Amino acid sequence: MTIIEGMISGFFQSISLAVFPYLFVGSIFGLIIGVIPGLSGHFAMAMAVTFLYSMEPAAGIAFILGAHATVAQGGGLTAILFSTPGTGQNAATLLDGPAMRDKGEAGIAVGAAMASCFLGATFGAVVLALLIPVMQHVVLFFGPPEVFVLAFLALTFVAVLGKEDMTRSLIAALLGLLMAMIGVDNVTNTHRFTFGSENLADGLQLVPVVLGLFAVAEMIDLWQRGGSLAKGVPQALSAKDTQAQIFKGIGLAFKNWWLVIRCSAIGTTMGLIPGLGSAPAAFVAYGHAKQSSPDKDTFGHGNVKGIIGPESANDAVEGGALASTIAFGIPGSSSMAILLSGLFVLGLETGPQMLTRNVDIVFVMIFTIIIGNLIGTIVGMFLVNPLSRATSIRASVMVPVLMAIIATGAFAGERAIFDIGVAIVFGILGYLMKVLNYSRAALLIGFVLGFAVEKNLYLALLLDGPFFIAQPIPLGLTLVTVAFLGWNVWTIYRDRKRVIPRDPRN
Amino acid sequence: MRRQFLKSAVAAAALVAALGMGAPATAQDAAAFYKDSVIKWIVPYDPGGGYDEYSRMIIPYFEKYTGARVDIVNMPGSGGMKGAVEIFNSPTDGLTVGIINGSAMVTNELAEIEGANYKVADYNFLGRMVADQRVMVASVQSGIKNFEDLRDNGKTEIIGATGLGGSTYVDAVIVGEVLEIDEKVVHGFDRSGDIRTAMLRGDVQTMWGSLGSALKGIQDGEHVVILHGEKSPTGILEGIPSIYDIANAMENGAERVKILESWEALSAVGRPVAAPPGVPEDRLAFLRNAFEQAMNDPEFVKGAVETERDLSFASGEQMNAIAKAATDLTPEVKEMFVKAIRGEI
Repeated sequence: MTIIEGMISGFFQSISLAVFPYLFVGSIFGLIIGVIPGLSGHFAMAMAVTFLYSMEPAAGIAFILGAHATVAQGGGLTAILFSTPGTGQNAATLLDGPAMRDKGEAGIAVGAAMASCFLGATFGAVVLALLIPVMQHVVLFFGPPEVFVLAFLALTFVAVLGKEDMTRSLIAALLGLLMAMIGVDNVTNTHRFTFGSENLADGLQLVPVVLGLFAVAEMIDLWQRGGSLAKGVPQALSAKDTQAQIFKGIGLAFKNWWLVIRCSAIGTTMGLIPGLGSAPAAFVAYGHAKQSSPDKDTFGHGNVKGIIGPESANDAVEGGALASTIAFGIPGSSSMAILLSGLFVLGLETGPQMLTRNVDIVFVMIFTIIIGNLIGTIVGMFLVNPLSRATSIRASVMVPVLMAIIATGAFAGERAIFDIGVAIVFGILGYLMKVLNYSRAALLIGFVLGFAVEKNLYLALLLDGPFFIAQPIPLGLTLVTVAFLGWNVWTIYRDRKRVIPRDPRN
Repeated sequence: MRRQFLKSAVAAAALVAALGMGAPATAQDAAAFYKDSVIKWIVPYDPGGGYDEYSRMIIPYFEKYTGARVDIVNMPGSGGMKGAVEIFNSPTDGLTVGIINGSAMVTNELAEIEGANYKVADYNFLGRMVADQRVMVASVQSGIKNFEDLRDNGKTEIIGATGLGGSTYVDAVIVGEVLEIDEKVVHGFDRSGDIRTAMLRGDVQTMWGSLGSALKGIQDGEHVVILHGEKSPTGILEGIPSIYDIANAMENGAERVKILESWEALSAVGRPVAAPPGVPEDRLAFLRNAFEQAMNDPEFVKGAVETERDLSFASGEQMNAIAKAATDLTPEVKEMFVKAIRGEI
């Protein structure tokens, strides 16, 4: 089967009656899971795998991947409307989404997010199609030394991008790295920071940490303040206004097409690298959107580009992540690991065999991502109104209801009461960080990258010795990191010099 | 209200009496007990993993032969130990069973790793679903085509492995020690897929693993099998020397073979389905029988063949013997294994 034949066959399979209904149901399922805080893409896919046993390969792929494709879209909705990332990958959307909502522009934010997701996903899918022949070589450039250095590059971006100041962000990022060390060390089997507790032996779970830092902290804040989630908007927008705003938002995403393409490229590239995943990609894209924008100061206060950037990146990741999964059968993330097991259930093999014998299935995946996100966008638009109305509900009603959902979400992943406790502890920490202007995003990203950093440092040292950093790619990435950090420190220094002399005159 | 309370109290008392006074338990009693009851099936790993898939494959047939409903509970944690401990300490009514990573649980128990609060030999096994055939593969790039290349090329081979105490690690260290392979074991990879990438990159040259997971790399022409632990190799392993062949040809061959046989006993534990100690005998016998029937159900076997899932059934009684053999080691061999598991070799 040639690639062209595979593409045509893949397309007609995707829209056939035997496949499309599964794709549709999967997409709606993913969207709903995405909207619910704490239930992530892994959850959606893990649930979906259990249905695959009796399905045909194409239908099964459409179902599981459709569910996965729309999770980030649903999560974006929740992030904007409730200041709670529906999933970890939407954490970057929190920087500008809620701020826009508070300005009464929730519809624009949602429209832009939805359209960016769709465009980003399409970009990733197209790149996946183009990259398949050369895939194997690209991924092989990134071994332990490269990934280790790249993780630090990502952390540097994180520390610089936040609306909080750089020093505090660095403190938070390093604290996050430290928290990732909790649990049994994978290399030496030593218990670290577990205080003898079996519950901590596996480390802190990502979902309750995210829920705590963002959702619970927000609930505490809301309870403190009273009122409703939408601060500036006394009443919900009318359905008509919201629809008008959504279309404006969609228009804005298309208008910023160049930004969408650049951020999608960031997402897809980072998706290719095993272990990085979409949350860091969204943050790096956010940093890029901010750095490249003339109106940097309005980021964090409701700039639509702060939504377009991360939302296009977090869906573009899938194309990249899928590429390495298909090419090697080596999943880049836990979602991809679950997808891979789904492929086994369906009797499909990854690797060169899939690229030659089952290339139509690869194109079913590609079209599933595109069509699934289109369905997500359209259905999501109709979800906005009921959800945005919910943001006007009084805190005294809202907080208990959402806390119940959050507690369920924290519990659901591992079925552990302990995780509800983790969410609450991190909620208090998150609230304090919010009040004291420490970056919660930096802490989270440090936490997420901690595993990759440690594992790859250890392997790099064992394999290449202490001078692994002198190899071409690590050296290049290190120089980029240092230059980036240095340049930002210099701008702070420069700005301070400019500002300080002016102060006495005021 | 009060009357209702009294009613239920009387009912409860009657139930206790009925259970207590029951005539000598028979298979029929057990069948009646399981009919329409709910069995909790613990999977000590995340949904979507191999243990989860094996469980979901067999459960419809297990339901068929027990007449009970079977609910899967995923309980990941501590490398599978959390779920194993949960099974070990669950009620002895015969309504909780689960699949365990038998070989890893044995090594953790031997090395007295924190959290290994169970005794593998004390479980009541229903039987085994599958046991891995262990193989050592080399990447094509390394130029190693057989064991002679590995031994005689004058280089220190780098072997990739997952965590300390994991089977990829223990295999590499024990076999390396017994066969005096010039090797450096690099552990810390997340999964065997991770090691496979490192082999493609040329970071490591060889790895140990199960034949099932290595098969794909072999068929894709990325890997060659250079060693295996099968005494009578079949299929793809035919004609490749086993570790026993190599050991026999060396000095003190018999002694080396003895250690390797203990090592083999470890992998033979495989993936068994276990109930906690203390389950009433009639129920245990009933469950074992149902599991055996499920494992031999033609439709189940057909499904396993279609999805290329290996099966190697061992009965509950056989499993108890296998588990005993794996944990009952001579002091010298045990000391060596414990050192290997803890990374002290």
